[in-house]
Amino acid sequence: MELLVTMLANLLITDGAAIGAGIAALTGLGAGIGMGIATGKAVEATARQPEAVGKIRTMLLLGLAFAETTAIYGLLVSILLIFVAA
Amino acid sequence: MVISSQLLAADFSELGDKVFPSDVVEICGFRINDSVISGFIVVAAILLVALILRLTVIRRWKTTPTPAQMFLEWLVSFFDKSADEMTENYSGLMGPYTFGAAAYICCGVLIEAFGLRPAIADIGACFALALCTFLFIHTFGFMKNKVRRFTHYLNPINIITDISVPVSMTFRLFGSILSGMIIMDMIYILIEGIWYIGLPLILPAVLTPVFTLFHAFIQSYVFASLTLTFVQEAIETPPRKQKKKKKKAEATIAA
Repeated sequence: MELLVTMLANLLITDGAAIGAGIAALTGLGAGIGMGIATGKAVEATARQPEAVGKIRTMLLLGLAFAETTAIYGLLVSILLIFVAA
Repeated sequence: MVISSQLLAADFSELGDKVFPSDVVEICGFRINDSVISGFIVVAAILLVALILRLTVIRRWKTTPTPAQMFLEWLVSFFDKSADEMTENYSGLMGPYTFGAAAYICCGVLIEAFGLRPAIADIGACFALALCTFLFIHTFGFMKNKVRRFTHYLNPINIITDISVPVSMTFRLFGSILSGMIIMDMIYILIEGIWYIGLPLILPAVLTPVFTLFHAFIQSYVFASLTLTFVQEAIETPPRKQKKKKKKAEATIAA
């Protein structure tokens, strides 16, 4: 047990930044789910009202940009952890 | 087996220096990196192209358009039309501004294809663009609504919302361009050790459009449309309190 704790502590000291970078990359999960829902809804809306496709596309791209931002924040945090903290 | 040993032998120690460059040049007391130089190259190229187009295509403007004229008209009216739709009175300024910002972002990213560091992969360039948008939003907001705009700040969460706009625009642009650049740099390092015939020539040519070209167009479009959306939101006239009275009057009539 004590050995395990020591190992874990050593791991956190030496590779803590790398583990943090891996955890930060999990932001892609939420962004992916959000973008998937948005795209699905846009497809539904286009199927229901094909003449509104231009407006739907504009709004979809804006929404995707907002959803993508969270993923990019995670990416920046992990890049900073890899190249600056390590 | 050969491939795997080559992949393991790749040396990624240069990558960190490419992401956050440590080699800075000092010119006139300013410490600058490669991004600033390529930014100036992009500005010079855009100005030169604009001048050439002004002197050749636009001089020979015809009623039966040539392909070049059609393309120019489409490009300009694309931004002007969306500015007209969203920012009615201020479209004269917002159309050219969004077109200029989109052209700078697009060309600043595409300069990566010539082997230079992209101009937008520098947090200063992104912050400058976002700050321009921030100034436009609030100047037009105060010009349109005057003192009534301050009622918007009675809810203190709106202050944080407004401050977060330039920050989020900066990091959206910076992060997406930087990620594309890192992936391309990683590919360059990986294929350096591979000498199969043609592969180092073909692979970057195939992958550059995926990681650089789409980002350039999508990010410039997103920046332009986000700017227009925020300005539209700012110049919206806040609802007046007369509506409540009307409702009350209707209620009394109904009663």
